Amino acid sequence: MSSEESPQITRRTTRLSAANSENAVDSSKSCALKPLSVNDLLYGNSPISLEELISSFPGRRGQIIELMSLLGPVNSPMFPTFVYGGSSTGKTSIVLNIFRHLRRPFVYASCITCYSPRILFESILNQLMLHRKSDSNGYSSIKRCDKPSDFVNLLREALSGVIGTLQGNAEKAGSKKAARWPNGKMVYLIFDSLNLVKEWEKSSTILPFLFNLYDILRMPEVGLIFISNNSLDTYYADTGFVEPFPFHFPDYSEDDLRQILLKHQVNKNLYSSFLDVVLRPFCRITRRVNELSTALLPLFKKYCEPLGDLGAVPNEDMKRKLYGHLQRHIAPSLNETFRVSAGLTSGASRSKDNERKGIVKKLEACTSSNELDFHMSTSAKFLLISAFLASRNPATLDASFFDSTGGSDNRKRKRKSSAKSLEQKETAEQELLMKGPGTFPLERLLAIFQCLTSVAEYSPDVEGQGNRATMGDSGYIGSHVLLQLSSLCNANFITKGGSCPLEGSTRYRSNVSEDMVLKVARSVKFPLSKYLYRR
Amino acid sequence: MDLKNPVEQAVILLRSRLCNPNFIFTLFSDSPDSNYSKLKYIISSSVTESCNNSVLLLGPRGCGKLAVLELVLEDLLREFPDMISVIKLNGLLHSDDNCALKEIARQLCLEHQLAFSKMASSDENSQFLIAMLRECGLAHKTVLFVLDEFDLFAQGKQRLLYSLLDAMQSVTSQAVVIGVSCRLDADQLLEKRVRSRFSHRKLLFLPPSREDLQRLLEHALLLPSGSDLPHEFVANFNSNLLNIFADKKFKDIMDTVFNTDSTFKQVLTFLFSALCHLDLKCGFLSVENFKDALSNIQRQPKLECLKDCSILELYILVCMKRLEVREHETCNFNSIMKEYKSIHDSFQTTDYYARDVCRRAFEHLLQRELISFLDNRGHGHSIEFRPVKLLISWQELYQGLKSYGSCPAILYKLVERETTT
Repeated sequence: MSSEESPQITRRTTRLSAANSENAVDSSKSCALKPLSVNDLLYGNSPISLEELISSFPGRRGQIIELMSLLGPVNSPMFPTFVYGGSSTGKTSIVLNIFRHLRRPFVYASCITCYSPRILFESILNQLMLHRKSDSNGYSSIKRCDKPSDFVNLLREALSGVIGTLQGNAEKAGSKKAARWPNGKMVYLIFDSLNLVKEWEKSSTILPFLFNLYDILRMPEVGLIFISNNSLDTYYADTGFVEPFPFHFPDYSEDDLRQILLKHQVNKNLYSSFLDVVLRPFCRITRRVNELSTALLPLFKKYCEPLGDLGAVPNEDMKRKLYGHLQRHIAPSLNETFRVSAGLTSGASRSKDNERKGIVKKLEACTSSNELDFHMSTSAKFLLISAFLASRNPATLDASFFDSTGGSDNRKRKRKSSAKSLEQKETAEQELLMKGPGTFPLERLLAIFQCLTSVAEYSPDVEGQGNRATMGDSGYIGSHVLLQLSSLCNANFITKGGSCPLEGSTRYRSNVSEDMVLKVARSVKFPLSKYLYRR
Repeated sequence: MDLKNPVEQAVILLRSRLCNPNFIFTLFSDSPDSNYSKLKYIISSSVTESCNNSVLLLGPRGCGKLAVLELVLEDLLREFPDMISVIKLNGLLHSDDNCALKEIARQLCLEHQLAFSKMASSDENSQFLIAMLRECGLAHKTVLFVLDEFDLFAQGKQRLLYSLLDAMQSVTSQAVVIGVSCRLDADQLLEKRVRSRFSHRKLLFLPPSREDLQRLLEHALLLPSGSDLPHEFVANFNSNLLNIFADKKFKDIMDTVFNTDSTFKQVLTFLFSALCHLDLKCGFLSVENFKDALSNIQRQPKLECLKDCSILELYILVCMKRLEVREHETCNFNSIMKEYKSIHDSFQTTDYYARDVCRRAFEHLLQRELISFLDNRGHGHSIEFRPVKLLISWQELYQGLKSYGSCPAILYKLVERETTT
């Protein structure tokens, strides 16, 4: 659409000096940003032909042709259309590129960036009234509009304005400028990511309003297109709404995925032999393009390792050799399909370390290494461990676990397990699975924390001698601990549960898995298993 | 631009017909006991006799209530040029009383060429309304209030309805209130004092009968001979179309459409879709176009969703189904994982993946709305403990597995077995 040119201020000017030199900058800016016109309602700078369009979206030929037939010839009215399909199936890009090919003017609003009705309405009106937010108007919209009734009135005005301009253009057709002008007298409104509207506050009125917009406006020169992740039957409404015309984008098949992944590769033959081996197992987990491409990237690097020349075309022998090299890495990497690496540099160095030590990951082993891959301060680690213990252990057993000597005498008392106690154990385990971690009040957490840190002081092999000083006396809980608690809450390691109705204090709940707490405890050399209550 | 292909011109003409509800309903306005004539009689009698009236138009969505009303209003505005002014309100936009009063004032100002101030308060607007009603009454001009989505106006305190209907009780005013709603019990929603001022006239709009549907087809799709399309093309097109209408296959298709959903809107969508499938090179409609259109409007979204799932996601769905069959009251991600492990242990499947991968597949299923959380309150809990429920039935799951293509046989066995136990 329109090109935004950055203002001519360099980065080193301070705000004060920029304000002073505003007058000088203003005049240069105003001639740098030309006013918007109807031509800016088109997509892309250069038009593309139908063959280019179809070839740039492999596997979508049927959908493109059908969608174009729904839009119809120039100046033909259309029913509102509802395009739906899984995520990363190409709905938005195909719709926009079809408009680029047809050179018809449209207005695009995505419900991801326009996250409230007011922003949505104002964004559409700004585009239709050819208004650009800039310094001169204080980055405000052309009209303030947060109610649907105002929106309809202003929309009607704006649409008539744009359609009038387009009709004027059509009458002047034949001049040289017409090649750059938009086609036709119709304007299209595209609403993207409509499924996010379901989570808005006023969604029960906004959704029927948007679907009925075509009937409310009664302007045959306007076409409406809705794009959503879910189908129409997931949009619940009390009295229903006027249903738009549904259009489905199915997920890609394996062949389509292969074509898409091959599209931007330098050495297509090599990558194609790689995909022969790898695509089918990965497709059993997910068929989304974005997830597959990130998962396959490190595996492809591994595949190419034995090759000296990355531009080589592999023959059968080489393919078999490469497959042999890759094979034992496929299964562990399947289990890491959705893992986001913590950082390219740390990942690269760690992989080099692993190579030097010759570690080969086993299939059943935990997918990640035994270390935490992010940094936490020692007091935060102890706080996390205390929270986990507080959630896992019932409160009545606190006294026996954390007695004044700072240790626990949790000897497993061997009892003959009768059938009833086995059954009880099973139901208790089932309950643990279903209910999840328990809640605890703040005082209990701090008590456990105090007890644990006093234990840590006395044990001689706590990491880092300097920590003893920061723990202070055993009776002192500094405000830094409470700050750590709030940052743990922000990181979602601890969440606020419901509050007790009698006391009114908030209760917390620990959200971390046992594996992670084990890792944390290992890093501060804390004997976690002694304190964990096993039923 | 002028030398357009006649086929394209014909397509544009037909599409604009189908998208314009007024055109479709002129067909049904001729018979004397149709809703059109009844409505026209009610309104025109209250205009000519200078009295107040109110009427409700009820019927399911897509049956032509607003379209017929528009036709009536058009005709009346032609018959009584200066004696009617129309105010249109919509429940989706104007259910808030202040909004509604502002809109009424704006439309009245627009019609009578008065200056409208956006800053007027709602009190001023309501006084303006009452004053205008009085003036119009004295000038023997009837004000028609069209309230679309009438049931939304009946939420809350119904102040607007009360003030409108109350203003109509005075001798000097001449107003007709026309409510349009898809709820058949819209008048039961009214408060006692509002209902007592409401004349209980209701007009029921129903989906068309089979014969009406046939007339509609011909009315909508046959090209008119008076247009500027070449005569030969029009004649060929129409005769081809009549041949199609007589075809048995087409009659079966129409029966299917009629039996599933016979409202006007659905039929028009069907015709629109058939028109979109028209092959521009061949230039005429064919029975194939109508068949494609039928499959377009008969969608099975859950089945499509299931076909888009990956195999791991299907495993999770089957595990949930098995838990449901075993009558566990609630299940959450942990119990599903337990079931998944037990399936793997007993059947030695190749598809056993780590917990993180399964959790992401679980989230994908939540996004697709094949499963959902039982309640929205548990935001504090992590995703592994919140109880979930399946949003598809066993039949849909089974059908989805069958049409999946590369579904592992173990899943069929698992789903089938549960039905027999």
